[in-house]
Amino acid sequence: MDCLSTKETINNTFEIVRDTSFSEKTSGIPTENQVNKFLDKILYLQKYLNDKAEKIEDINERLERLTWLNDIDEDSLRQLNGLIASAKDLHSVLIRQLVNLNDFRKKGLAKEAIKRFKSAIDTLKEIISDLESAFFFLPAMPHFLDNTKELSLL
Amino acid sequence: MKIFCLPDFKDRFDNLSKKKPYKTLEQDLIDHFFDKGIEHLKSGVRLNFSEHEPFIKKRLEGRGGYRVYFLLIIKLEAAYLMFVHPKTGPDGADNITDESKAKIYKDVLGCIKTNDLFELTLNELKTKIQFQRL
Repeated sequence: MDCLSTKETINNTFEIVRDTSFSEKTSGIPTENQVNKFLDKILYLQKYLNDKAEKIEDINERLERLTWLNDIDEDSLRQLNGLIASAKDLHSVLIRQLVNLNDFRKKGLAKEAIKRFKSAIDTLKEIISDLESAFFFLPAMPHFLDNTKELSLL
Repeated sequence: MKIFCLPDFKDRFDNLSKKKPYKTLEQDLIDHFFDKGIEHLKSGVRLNFSEHEPFIKKRLEGRGGYRVYFLLIIKLEAAYLMFVHPKTGPDGADNITDESKAKIYKDVLGCIKTNDLFELTLNELKTKIQFQRL
């Protein structure tokens, strides 16, 4: 290493130390107030997601209960078809929101709340599929209704 | 309330229970099905519109996230466990096909008619399920 590059190296290191010293003096470790503000934001996110998850969980239960209704006529089926389409629409909106939470998830922020939110969305998707099975696809399958009749005679 | 199961259900239960991720299956089944009244079991998704013999898919509470398919025959006060699958882990699945649902529905009718069933009871400590072939 020649003389010039030695001086440059020292100079560069000096600048780094000086800048770091300055920035540490002026900002340094966040104050308690700054930490509290950050934690408040995390808590807000957790509550926001838990509230959302609770709302979806409630919808999931309501959708499940629809399968216990008796006397479903053609008009009711038409209504249910619209409801299922609307639930699919809701699911796709929620999936987009979940994707937007990826950065938080990667950083491990609000981990449990994100997990609960995702689980509620997954269950919504599953119930939508179950509703279609119960109201439309299974009754159309060969022998399914005959099976029900036979069971009633046992 | 009497609880029965199909031979296929028992095979599946034995197979899953052996695996580490599914150690909670037995307890989750005990919690949901044993010492419970009919009204408790009339929950989940009813797949066959039947008031008196509902074919039910139930998402079990608990960590396992198991899905159990069963038939209730209300006048006999009996539940027939047909199929179970976990949602996660090596044997996990999001759902089963409509063809599979129709098949187990057909199977349960056949098994009831021929008495090809196991009766499920609990041991004295109520911690283990005992299977007794009919």
